[in-house]
Amino acid sequence: MKLSKNRKWSLSLATLFILLCTVGETSLVYASPTIATVQKVVGTASVLRQGQTISATVGLEIWENDTLRTGSDGSIGVIFNDDTLLSLGPESTLVIDRFLFAPREGKFSIALRMIKGTAAYLSGLIAKLAPDSAHFETPTASIGIRGTKFVVRVEG
Amino acid sequence: MKAWRYFLFTWILVGLLTGCGAHRAKRNLIVLLPDSDGKSGIVTVATKGGSQILDRPGYAVEVEDINQRPTAPKPAKEEEITNVFAPALSTLPNPARRVTLFILYFERDSTKLTHKSTDLLMEMQRTIKSLNSDEVYVVGHTDLVGTEAYNDRLSARRANYIRDLLISSGIKPNSLFVSFYGKAKPLVPTQDEVAEPRNRRVEVIIR
Repeated sequence: MKLSKNRKWSLSLATLFILLCTVGETSLVYASPTIATVQKVVGTASVLRQGQTISATVGLEIWENDTLRTGSDGSIGVIFNDDTLLSLGPESTLVIDRFLFAPREGKFSIALRMIKGTAAYLSGLIAKLAPDSAHFETPTASIGIRGTKFVVRVEG
Repeated sequence: MKAWRYFLFTWILVGLLTGCGAHRAKRNLIVLLPDSDGKSGIVTVATKGGSQILDRPGYAVEVEDINQRPTAPKPAKEEEITNVFAPALSTLPNPARRVTLFILYFERDSTKLTHKSTDLLMEMQRTIKSLNSDEVYVVGHTDLVGTEAYNDRLSARRANYIRDLLISSGIKPNSLFVSFYGKAKPLVPTQDEVAEPRNRRVEVIIR
């Protein structure tokens, strides 16, 4: 069957569209970088992302590699996609090195790195589904986490 | 003579102070807390000098130096928890239940649920219905007894069994995503061919 150029093109587009719809894997069509959202903010708190400083507000979306920072009067509370809860007290800095929550692929990983300050952490599903994949680092210590709640202070 | 002794005393005092100061530069304090059920998990704190395990709620370890093993766990002082950690604790979000997990366990070599898990099944079906979710992951696993091929098939049968149960209880088939990993991802790591009931499972993750 001979098709005109336009016909061929719209047929290819239509086929591609149908293929995308039937795959049923939403991540193929749209992958959100959001791994957590800010739930609480007190005083001065910000997110450092790719060199840009974003003032933290309730509802702000957090991405992998973000650095969370609080001022002398600030604190911030964040909830991750696997229900891990994290908060920072004043004068704190923490980097989200890694977050992956993909139940279908069986891939789970959370790695947080605290530079200074105080933090509270309540583990979510990643620590329950893949306990060896949840890590919390300070400048001097490595904290392995198995389904739990803890607080940590790093002086410096 | 008197002046010399005074001098020595002052020098040692100063030495000790700056020594403390240098140590305190990156001192860490880690306190394990109970979660809302009153239970707690386990936290391992490791430095280049060694590690400690925190498994009692309310206990703490300190890290003085990267090359020193953390101190042995001891009860954290109440005032320390309150004074040092109050701002962080008050900003910890309320659990929002964005995602819910059920783990169902199976008898050896079988798609038969354990007694406890059969009870859990009904609660799970009710929860899934009430959440009205579009994304329910059903993930099958086995323990390390048997070959990879055998366990791939067994974990698939387990996951499909749960999927079928969910569909027959009225949950929309296209909200269910089934996957299986055979013996490849044990929850409790064991040697090969070791029977471990906690690995014979299907995880149901509801978003």
